[in-house]
Amino acid sequence: MDQNIGITAQPVDAHKCKFVVSEPVFAGVRRFTSAAEAEGSPLAERIFAIPGGFVTEVMVSGENVTVTKASEAPWQAVGKAVGSAIRETLRGAVPAVAAAAPRGAGPAGPGDDELYERVADLFEQEVNPMVARHGGFVELIDVQEAVVMLRMGGGCQGCGMASVTLRQGIEGVLAQHIPEVKAVVDITDHGAGANPYFASSKK
Amino acid sequence: MTRPRLLLLLPTATYRTTAFVEAARRLDVALTVASERPSTFESALPDALVTLDFASVPRTVDQALAIHRDSALTAALGVDDETVILATAINLALGRAANPLPAVEAARDKFLQREALRAAGVPVPDFTLHDLALDPATLAGTAPYPCVLKPLRLAASRGVIRADDPAQFVATFRRIRHLLDGGDVPDCGAAGRQLLVESFVPGPEVALEGLLEKGRLHVLAMFDKPDPLDGPYFEETIYVTPSRLPEDAQRALADVAEDAAHAIGLVEGPVHAELRWNPRGAWLIELAARPIGGRCSAALRFGTDITLEEVVLRHALGLPLPSLTREPRASGVMMIPVPGQGGTLRGVKGTERARALPGVDDVVITATGQKLVPWPEGSRYPGFIFAHGAAPADVELALRAAHRQLEWELEPLD
Repeated sequence: MDQNIGITAQPVDAHKCKFVVSEPVFAGVRRFTSAAEAEGSPLAERIFAIPGGFVTEVMVSGENVTVTKASEAPWQAVGKAVGSAIRETLRGAVPAVAAAAPRGAGPAGPGDDELYERVADLFEQEVNPMVARHGGFVELIDVQEAVVMLRMGGGCQGCGMASVTLRQGIEGVLAQHIPEVKAVVDITDHGAGANPYFASSKK
Repeated sequence: MTRPRLLLLLPTATYRTTAFVEAARRLDVALTVASERPSTFESALPDALVTLDFASVPRTVDQALAIHRDSALTAALGVDDETVILATAINLALGRAANPLPAVEAARDKFLQREALRAAGVPVPDFTLHDLALDPATLAGTAPYPCVLKPLRLAASRGVIRADDPAQFVATFRRIRHLLDGGDVPDCGAAGRQLLVESFVPGPEVALEGLLEKGRLHVLAMFDKPDPLDGPYFEETIYVTPSRLPEDAQRALADVAEDAAHAIGLVEGPVHAELRWNPRGAWLIELAARPIGGRCSAALRFGTDITLEEVVLRHALGLPLPSLTREPRASGVMMIPVPGQGGTLRGVKGTERARALPGVDDVVITATGQKLVPWPEGSRYPGFIFAHGAAPADVELALRAAHRQLEWELEPLD
């Protein structure tokens, strides 16, 4: 029943909000940057169609739906429409989010394919040997529209300095070696990290 | 136009990393992050990551000036009591407007701070400083009861204990001495071998978050602490803003905070003050030259959804400040108390149920796999709960309801 689907809105700022759903939305990661791109994925289609929402990006990863909008409309108003879209499409006859097209099938496919290979190689050759010094590792999940999606593990998961590693370290190395990468998205559940290299403890 | 470059001093144990790093990104500020221990990427990205000797102010300043010669720093910013001193020294060396160094040193040291406040006539508890090597039985005869015993440098009310009579005084004194002798307490030099005894000030406590600009205090938020802090321990739990105290009380509290900042000599940057209110008026308990700690700043939004860290960064870099008016809704945070006798946190159930409650924004568990020791020996929270509501009472109810949903899986400590 719809009312059994729990959704928590976690606004990042006026333009970005993460919605945590009590059940899986999509087994993988997909990112949509336009209504046209969302075609075939009812959840993303519905979110892009929210009146006055001016949604610019929808990212679905496991139980998380992250929505970015250009409007200044408060999340209380847009969030309700996002919640309805999640509940209704999860209960629909077709999957809420379609599997990604096979690599190379879309106009951006070959670019992402190539980027994926290069990022994977960079992670193996440079990034992971570095983070391994602190017992961590970084897993490349996907590259979509030149946006790298990654997950941190080991000593990096839940580490108090993980965002420094991500923003100052990994992004910096990517900028040096693969400047075509537009952005990096961390989908790690840092709250579940049981063995962080640096544990936060100081008030 | 050249992007401003900030040297951000982040101790590896701080909770504040993500909030400040993300704020710098939003402001498009070039960032050099400095910590006391090396980052894994430091050799690959020497402009972005550096290790500094946080234990030595002169050495840190020398290192920062060397960085400045290569990377043209605009300013330095510290996020906690220790790094604020380092950042102040660096900013002074860079020729930037900053607090006088003795002022930030006094803000960190509970005794120096109280001396300056008392001399300036700011209402503070009566206090005396004692060496831990002294015989507590002798000191117990002269203490004002009820009194509060406090280590000079520990954070988050760690080691702060109330004593109501000489027997409790002696036991408390020995307990704090034992705590300070422990291996997990930072080395504070002579300050680590001293203890402050002050009279207990009754009445509700508030936390004031402010920003000093050329000596003028902008009150960013005043948080009520609805759980009474009467001791014997002073573990903080719920903060809710706006305050429900009468407006004249809030004005008096803000005035005392501003007087305290002036008495210490602070003129620029964030301040976080703990104050009490009772029929005798407003009392300054403590004031720090830094923003609120833990993850608590996530409860604050200003103007058009601006975070506290963005406000602090803008001020540090001399960028135009946004509206400093807090959002109209009531907001709050619970620093989740250590459950029971503590233990190693193996898991928490009920976080999704808690998040789904009306008004609850988020439940963040920050200590999975970590040892949790109850106050007053401990100082690490299992996590934080955030809520919004139409009124402060709604926020408090939401925080308490969310907390009741949480079930803790703890492995007993050795």
